[in-house]
Amino acid sequence: MELKLGQIIVIGLIVLLVGYVISAYNRLVQLRNQVRNGWRQIDVQLKRRHDLIPNLVESVQGYMSHERETLRQVVEARARAVETEGKGPEEANPAEQLLTGALGRLFALMENYPDLKANQSVANLMEELASTENRIAFSRQHYNDSVMAKNTAVESFPSNIVARLFGFRHATYFEIDTQERAAPQVSLR
Amino acid sequence: MGATIQCPDCGAANSARAASCRLCGDPLNATAAAQPGMQQKMLRRTDFVSAARANSRATTRLVLLLLFIGGLMGYVLGWNLEIFLGETAWELDTIWFPSAWGAWGATLMIAASLLWTLIAMKQGDRIVLRITGARQVDRDDEPILHNVVEEMAIAAGIPKPQVYVIETEALNAFATGLTLRRSAIGVTRGLLDTLNRDELQGVVGHEVGHIVNLDMRYATAVSTLVGLIALVADTAWRVVYVSGRGGGRVRTSGSGRGGGGGAAVALLILFLVAALAPVFAKLVQMAVSRQREFLADATSVRLTRNPHGLMSALGKLSQQAAPFPGANRATQHLFIVNPFKHFPEKASRLMATHPPLEARIRRLSNLGGE
Repeated sequence: MELKLGQIIVIGLIVLLVGYVISAYNRLVQLRNQVRNGWRQIDVQLKRRHDLIPNLVESVQGYMSHERETLRQVVEARARAVETEGKGPEEANPAEQLLTGALGRLFALMENYPDLKANQSVANLMEELASTENRIAFSRQHYNDSVMAKNTAVESFPSNIVARLFGFRHATYFEIDTQERAAPQVSLR
Repeated sequence: MGATIQCPDCGAANSARAASCRLCGDPLNATAAAQPGMQQKMLRRTDFVSAARANSRATTRLVLLLLFIGGLMGYVLGWNLEIFLGETAWELDTIWFPSAWGAWGATLMIAASLLWTLIAMKQGDRIVLRITGARQVDRDDEPILHNVVEEMAIAAGIPKPQVYVIETEALNAFATGLTLRRSAIGVTRGLLDTLNRDELQGVVGHEVGHIVNLDMRYATAVSTLVGLIALVADTAWRVVYVSGRGGGRVRTSGSGRGGGGGAAVALLILFLVAALAPVFAKLVQMAVSRQREFLADATSVRLTRNPHGLMSALGKLSQQAAPFPGANRATQHLFIVNPFKHFPEKASRLMATHPPLEARIRRLSNLGGE
C-alpha cells in the first residue's frame, strides 16, 4: 500500500516528537543527577572541614594557651557539626553556622600571634582551611547553579510538559542567612 | 583611572578601582568586603550567563562559516574540473548551470572535514605538554596551586584536572584536554611567583573555563578545517596553473572540450577562491580563538564570582617583559595571553589568537567589575 504525502508528514512529526521527548527526558535526568551529586559534594567538603579542625587545634594549642575558651568552642562546635554529617541540610546548617562563627573568632585571635603565622605547618593548615572554606562555598555555588539549570528546564516550554509527564520537580536552592555569608577571614600573609 | 589609594597593610599605591592590593593581596575596599549585600548586588548585575550564551552562538556561526568556505571551495574546484576534464561542452551561457562535479566536490570536502576532525580528536591534546616542557607537580610541591585548581574544578563540577608547572619567568598559563575527564592545566613559575591567590584563582578559572567549554575540541576542529582548506587551495592552484598555462596541452592531449570563454571565467573564479579562501579561513580561525578567550574570561567570572582577580591578573600579564621560550604557532591559542608578544590594540588585530588585553579587561569590568 502506498503512503500518501499526508501520512508521511504525520509519521515524520510523530518520530520528531518522540525524539524530542526522549532527549528532553534524558536531559532532565542528567540535570537531576547533577543536582543530587552537587548536594553530596557539599557534604564531602564539610566533612573535609571537620577533619582538618582537630589538626588545627592541636597545632595552635601550644601558642594560644590564653585562648582556651575559644578553642573549646571550636572543638564543641565541630563535635556538633560531625553529629549532623549526612543528616541533610536542615539539620546540618545550624551546626555548620555555629562552627563557622567559632572558627571566625579563632582566626581573628590568631592574628594576634605572629609566631603562629611564622610557623610553616600552621601556615599550611591555614591554607588548607582557607581552601576548604572556598570549596564549601564553590560546591554550594555549583549546587545552586545546577538547581537553576534544572529549574529552568522544568519551567520552560516545551520541556516543562515532559517534566510534568515524568514527575520532575523543582529543586530547592541552598540558602543561608546573612550571618554565615560573612565567611571567616583567613589571612595568609 | 589616575587616582590611587594606599594599601592599609603594606602601603603600596594601588589603583582606586582595585579590589585588592597588587602587592600583598589584601582587600582594599574594606566597606565592600564587609557588606555581603554589596556583593549580592554586584552579582545580580553580572550577566555572565547570557555573555556565555552569546559567545557560544558566535563560535557556532564561525565554525559553520568555515564549513561553508570549505564547501564553496570544493564546489568551485569540482566545477572547474568538470569544465576541463568532463564530457560536457561548456560555453559562457551554459557554464552557470549547477555543476554535478561541483556538488560532489562540496560534499567530499565537507565529509573530509568531518572525518579529519574526528581523527584529530582522537589524539593531539597532549602535544602542548611536551612542547612547552611542562612538568606535572605533586600536591606537596605546590599545595596552593593544587587547592586553587581543585576549588575551580568543584565550582565547575568537573573532575580535577592534572596540574603542571612550566619553569620559566614568563607569565602564562594553558589548559588542554579533549574531554572533561582527562584534562590538564599548566602555569608558569613566573605566574606562581607574581600573582596573589585571588589572581591565580581568576587565571585558573579561565583555564577551567577552556576545559568546560571544550575549547580544545573547537580549536582542533577549526585548525583541521583551516588545514584542509589550505590543502585544497594548493590543489586548486595547481589546476589553475596547469589549465592556465597548459590549456593547449589539455586540448592537444585529446580531451579538448574546455570551451573558450566559459572556461576562462570559471578559471578566474577558481583563481580568486584559491587565493582568498585560505586567508579568509585563517581570519575566521583567529576570530574563533578570540571568541573562546572572551568566553573563558566570562566562565572564569561565573566560577569565581569575582571579576577583580582575573582583571588584576590580566593587568599584571600585560606588563610582563619575559619572553616565553616554549611557545610556537601550533600551541599559542592554548595560552591565557599570547605567548609571543604583547599585541597592541590596533596592530595585527585580525591575525591575533587573543583579543587585546585592554579589551578583555574592559569586558570583564562590564561583568560587574566596575
